[in-house]
Amino acid sequence: MDKISIPIGPQHPLLKEPLSMMVDIAGEKVLGGSLRLGYVHRGIERLAQQRTYVQNVHLIERICGICSHVHTTAYCYAVEALLGIEIPPRAQYIRALMCELERIHSHLLWLGILAKHIGLETIFMHTWHDREMALDIMEEISGGRVSHAANQIGGVRFDLDEEHGDMIRGILKKLHSQVDGLLDIIETEPAAIARTKGVAPISSDLIKAYGVVGPVARASGVDIDLRRDAPLPPYDKLQVKVVTHPGGDAWARTYVRAEETRVSLNLCEKILEDLPEGDVSLRTPRRVPEGEVIIRSEAPRGELFYYLRSDGSDKPARLKVRTPTLAALSLLPVQLAEINVADIPVVLAGVDLCIACADR
Amino acid sequence: MNRIKKRLTILNAVIEAMIKSPETVKYPFGDLTLPEGYRGKIEFDPDKCSGCGLCVRDCPAEALHLNKKSREEYTLLYYPARCAYCGQCEDSCRHGAISHSNKLVGATTHKDDWVLVFKDSKASQE
Amino acid sequence: MIRSVFNLLVFPGFIFLVLSGLTFEWLDRKFLARFQRRVGPPWYQPLADLIKLFSKEDLLPKNVNDFLAALLPLVSLAAVLTAGLYVPIAGYKAFSFEGDLIVIIFLMSVPTLAYYLAGIISLGIYSVLGGGRSLLQFFSYEVPLLIALSGPAILGGSWSVSSIMTSQGNLGSFILFQPLGFVLAVVGLIGKLKRDPFDIPKAKSEVVGGSLTEFSGPTLGFWNLVMDIQAVIGIFLLIDLYFGWTKMSHPSLSIIIFIIECLILVLILSGTSAIFARLRIDQLAGLGWRILVPLALLQLGFIILMGI
Repeated sequence: MDKISIPIGPQHPLLKEPLSMMVDIAGEKVLGGSLRLGYVHRGIERLAQQRTYVQNVHLIERICGICSHVHTTAYCYAVEALLGIEIPPRAQYIRALMCELERIHSHLLWLGILAKHIGLETIFMHTWHDREMALDIMEEISGGRVSHAANQIGGVRFDLDEEHGDMIRGILKKLHSQVDGLLDIIETEPAAIARTKGVAPISSDLIKAYGVVGPVARASGVDIDLRRDAPLPPYDKLQVKVVTHPGGDAWARTYVRAEETRVSLNLCEKILEDLPEGDVSLRTPRRVPEGEVIIRSEAPRGELFYYLRSDGSDKPARLKVRTPTLAALSLLPVQLAEINVADIPVVLAGVDLCIACADR
Repeated sequence: MNRIKKRLTILNAVIEAMIKSPETVKYPFGDLTLPEGYRGKIEFDPDKCSGCGLCVRDCPAEALHLNKKSREEYTLLYYPARCAYCGQCEDSCRHGAISHSNKLVGATTHKDDWVLVFKDSKASQE
Repeated sequence: MIRSVFNLLVFPGFIFLVLSGLTFEWLDRKFLARFQRRVGPPWYQPLADLIKLFSKEDLLPKNVNDFLAALLPLVSLAAVLTAGLYVPIAGYKAFSFEGDLIVIIFLMSVPTLAYYLAGIISLGIYSVLGGGRSLLQFFSYEVPLLIALSGPAILGGSWSVSSIMTSQGNLGSFILFQPLGFVLAVVGLIGKLKRDPFDIPKAKSEVVGGSLTEFSGPTLGFWNLVMDIQAVIGIFLLIDLYFGWTKMSHPSLSIIIFIIECLILVLILSGTSAIFARLRIDQLAGLGWRILVPLALLQLGFIILMGI
């Protein structure tokens, strides 16, 4: 059969963010593919050098529309490390609470997208409805649905009271039963299993060779999670259960993400229980002393890396961000070989791309 | 048995959704309740403003602009289209002159609404 | 003469079939929306869509044969409308002859073939992929559907839809004798209509719009109309073959029962598209030939044994 190339992207119903892929196919078989990136490059790292540390919190938040909070968390911890201060424990816990809520909504969003790609639109609508509950919590406590603006250098910008706690606990309870139902569906829906099980499995060796992190790595049996391995402040007091699955295929990733959502729900409850008393923010100087620092944090998609260098002024001298999606993207052409055309959406959805993160 | 029960979850969810009323909020025609702390339209109290310019310095989107001739004589301009509604100005203001209301930001059809004069010290003196 | 014209143009011809097709689309979208916790479109939405498409410019890629592109949906529309004349609707038969079931099945396959051709002539990569898939799918669902539909024919002792329908008045509805055959016929119908879970030829995330990717304006409007009318005719046919015509004391009661049966079938179609994921084309072929065909043959053997 003749080889033909089909373009997927930059505009394609499959993609929510621009990414260009040329996929070589023969009939219904995929032979391979190549990638082109950079459609949403906004030059944020350079922009950050021209703005003050305070302004940058809001700039960094706009790197990603899904995991916006974890970006600012990593950035704020980096600045605070340079300043040599430790924020109040209550602020640390609130930051962690927001991170976990963000993980819940990111994973639910991902589950919905996978369901939509395999033609299960009902599950797409239902998961996105459930995800809205997590967003409601964040809107209620921080004031923003997607751009929460929860962090400031030296702490967080809002405090939780008893009323908030009750509201959050109520919604988390509802979410728990919804996620249980979702797991049931993932485990039993025959067509969904047929579409995801055994599709483009990745071995753990390949994961390590490409440096892939996050749920994709954990679904191939690689046991890494920065919340346990190199925890930022509140996580060292919380025992995080790391979910792994040896499968390596799309189904294993679905399972890992659904289970992680459950773990995050439990973590949220634990954080609310353990929430220490005290202030939520410190006053900080505007100028940051000279130095450089590396902060790693576990984003919903894996390890997030921040490098920050200061020259003593009120603007950063260099800010480098490495997002987990970049490693997953490099693995994409490898996965595209020897699959069906109908499996392309599953593979693409499986790695949970966040192009805006990767391009910045 | 447990497996059959699990298999029926999706059917259950579908039937439940059929019985319950839809979740859609028909916003312009129906009610939309925003939480108390929602960062919406920005409100300004000119009496409290001292013209220090802290909000202008911290605004990440450069939506605020201060034309300062002297301590008493200045105009504070606000460009709503640039605003990112991040709430930094509210945090930075020491006198509580700027605050977010929980109202949605409406679209504007009038060119004059692209720049709002928050405070014109001359006008307030007269 | 006047009766024939009335039959052709009003009932059960053009106007009735178009209106019922649009109603079907609205009901389907509404049901699906409610399954997904959405509100769904208002009742005039399918008609509004159609008017919008007909008022738009017809854009086609370069080097595409305009005449063929415009002809294919019209041929399919003619085929499904002709099929509609032979399907008794609410007990009213316009035309019928011995063996019209075969003709209906043949006419109902015309849109699938035209769909394939539309994909091939429109020269897009996605269209060619979608066209090829639609043909592959055709070979997977058509055989079990045919075997399943021959069940009522054998049981009714005739290949005419109207006599199969009337014979159920004495024997009882055929769905009682062959529930398996009914399920297979519904599965086959879903395949014919290219609906979820068998919407492989037009899977959005895989082949964008399938065969119809490059079409726009009135051509696309005609194609949508063909799909809708095909769906209602399929539903009417299944009701005639499996439920029959329930004779009540008053004819309006019978019509109400007929409408309820239609609604149940629409609900079944919408429900299956809501709770199943789309299959891969190789999985569909496997399902068709390894599972559906043996089941259909089993049902057929059972019916033949019953006849003896």
